Amino acid sequence: MSVTARYPADGSILDVSEFHLEEGERLIVFGPNGSGKTTFLRALAGMLGEERQLDAAYLPQHPYLFRGSAGWNLGLGLTDEQAALAGQFARRFGLSVQLERQASQLSGGERQRLCLARTLASNHPWVLLDEPLSALDVSDRAALAAQLAHALSGRSAIIVTHDREEAAILGERMAVMVGGRILQEGSVTEVFSLPASEEIARAVGTANVISGFAGTADESLARVVVGDSVITGMGTPPPGEPCRALFGAEAVTLYRGREAGSGSAVNHWTGRVVAIRESGRLIHISVDVGFLLVALLTPGSLEALGLGAGSEVTAAVKATAVRVVAT
Amino acid sequence: MEFIGEVLSDALEILTSFGAELWAVTGLTLAVSGSATVLGALIGIPLGTSLAVGGFRGRGAILVAVNTGMGFPPVLAGLLLLLLLWSDGPLGAWGLLFTPAAMVMAQTLLAIPIAAGVTAATIQALPPSAHEQLAALRLTRIKKGLVAVGEARAGMWAAVAAAFGRVVAEVGAVLIIGGNIKGETRVLTTAIVQESRQARFGEAVALGIVLLVIALAVNGLLTWLQWRGRPS
Repeated sequence: MSVTARYPADGSILDVSEFHLEEGERLIVFGPNGSGKTTFLRALAGMLGEERQLDAAYLPQHPYLFRGSAGWNLGLGLTDEQAALAGQFARRFGLSVQLERQASQLSGGERQRLCLARTLASNHPWVLLDEPLSALDVSDRAALAAQLAHALSGRSAIIVTHDREEAAILGERMAVMVGGRILQEGSVTEVFSLPASEEIARAVGTANVISGFAGTADESLARVVVGDSVITGMGTPPPGEPCRALFGAEAVTLYRGREAGSGSAVNHWTGRVVAIRESGRLIHISVDVGFLLVALLTPGSLEALGLGAGSEVTAAVKATAVRVVAT
Repeated sequence: MEFIGEVLSDALEILTSFGAELWAVTGLTLAVSGSATVLGALIGIPLGTSLAVGGFRGRGAILVAVNTGMGFPPVLAGLLLLLLLWSDGPLGAWGLLFTPAAMVMAQTLLAIPIAAGVTAATIQALPPSAHEQLAALRLTRIKKGLVAVGEARAGMWAAVAAAFGRVVAEVGAVLIIGGNIKGETRVLTTAIVQESRQARFGEAVALGIVLLVIALAVNGLLTWLQWRGRPS
């Protein structure tokens, strides 16, 4: 599929000659502000005056409620059956306000929940969401992200975000957009831990997003089983369910060889260096420890450790630096 | 100053007695301009809405026509209709010339572009996020128009007020098409022309004051509706 659009209103030029879409899959379009993500989504939704490219329900970045009651807005453009479904979504998303209330009295977060519920209730094959959680309080965001991931499971969706955690919770595949172009496409975990270039690494931030299944938890510590490895972190995912572990590249300490030095880190994994890349004044090191992880080192540390591609290293991460989210 | 003073005192005398003839002229003015405003709004508001929510061919050309129509000279509208309704004209058989019905037709022609133009401008002035959401909802054209009108409802009263203000104040069209026949097609504006030409200034000023009071009252009412309809 190919999308080319010039959008003079904000001066940005979108140039996506080809990208991959698969039905029944959730694609994250990730990128910094002004990278053209919104224009890309608007082009797909047919908002740029051209042909609609996807039969989609589209949630704009700034959802607008028309004058009337919240309930009337919730059912706008929907059949009775879909409106009832929208009501269920709204309740699940924590929209507790009475639907008789005037839409103008709703808070930003309530408006976004309402519009999100309405968008999901329509029966178009695709769902296009532009920063669907941006108007919410930070404290509500993770919970709603999990609800949204649940509501989207099995649906074909394209979700624009610049938030790493949202991308990790909501996405299966991810396209990184910088300057109106898609620079890398791949699974969310792959793009985060093995960015294809320095530009992409800078756009996604150096982070580890590792997919696995929740193991048995004890107290506040969660365990994520990834193949033969286990990642311990903070969180309460339901045991046996798919989940992801998130930690920054700066949280990883590397030791040469099979032994980690003494320290409080709970997580130790041994593996081999896959790639070393300079990024500004720091070095990104991708290590295969049964899963791919990325660490950040200073050039001095790299020299002291004497690492090269294929070197055996042990990576250590404190459990408190790892966040575990259900997906 | 003595002259002005005399004119004003004459006018006041006429207004305090407010005779049958003045009632008839005022009543016909309200009936003709009121009907033309209602008809003009019924046609102009949907026209303006469809121009604003867009999505059809020839929209640009119609928009130019509407904007031109907003400043269309009333005498020309009157002349155009005169030719159509003239006994040898295409609509001559209707026998409407020099009747209040013909005057309503003429003023409706003047009211339509005003109502359409103000409606289109008001809807286009809604925030970009409103237009984006309206497009994103993928409503039917009619439903889309209804939601847009509801959102801009304060502006609809402005459209009605502007249309009424234009038709109640015009003299060219009603003079040509109505003929200013006493007791039949005489309205406030044509009566003012008549009285002025005959140097009956007291009468002319009295009629002028009535016209002003009507314009003030109607616009006051519509402005109040407009304010009440604003989003809080």
